[in-house]
Amino acid sequence: MSKNLKMKSARAAKDMSQKDIADATGVTRQTINAIENGDYNPSINLCIAICKVLGKTLNDLFWEDDVNE
Amino acid sequence: MNKKGLDERQLHKKNMIGNQMFLLLLYALMLDAGLYGFGFRWISYPANVMLILTICSGIYVFRLIRSNAYVGPSTEKERPFLKTFLMILVSVAVAGAIIILVNISGFSSNNQTGDMAAPILFIAAFVALAVAVTTIIIKRVQDKDDAE
Repeated sequence: MSKNLKMKSARAAKDMSQKDIADATGVTRQTINAIENGDYNPSINLCIAICKVLGKTLNDLFWEDDVNE
Repeated sequence: MNKKGLDERQLHKKNMIGNQMFLLLLYALMLDAGLYGFGFRWISYPANVMLILTICSGIYVFRLIRSNAYVGPSTEKERPFLKTFLMILVSVAVAGAIIILVNISGFSSNNQTGDMAAPILFIAAFVALAVAVTTIIIKRVQDKDDAE
């Protein structure tokens, strides 16, 4: 799995740490770290929770189009 | 989301490691039974099973802590280092006291402790505690490594 740079940049844009997102979504910081590094494939529920925290849509953060990826 | 238990990644890891360690336990016990059947007795009966159980559960806990799947998000803030250290000291003291008491009371004249089962269990417990301390150190190093 490739790194999720979209999520990382969205988090940086909101000036949030991994810990902030982890607390808001009810998971550990290591889980958020694993998602950003592409080491873990999150469930749709967790994806939605992350999107709500970051104010983005699922497409913005988790859709990989063939042209850019 | 559930903040009391483990999160979804931790549950996934825990299930995966649990399955692997269960199979390891099964294979180790079958190997031990096979060796026993061929007449090779590396340790007498109660100690061999307990040692295999201790090793497998030790590896299980070690891998859980290493993959950060031992405590959930709600208890992550706690750092019970002092509590763990005191528990280790008390465990070692109790294990040592039991061996001394068994030797003093003359219980060792029976066949039950003539097979070195008590020292082996003491060593196994000590190794398990050493593993626990090592995992604490590994976890701290990992926390520093993957910090943003």
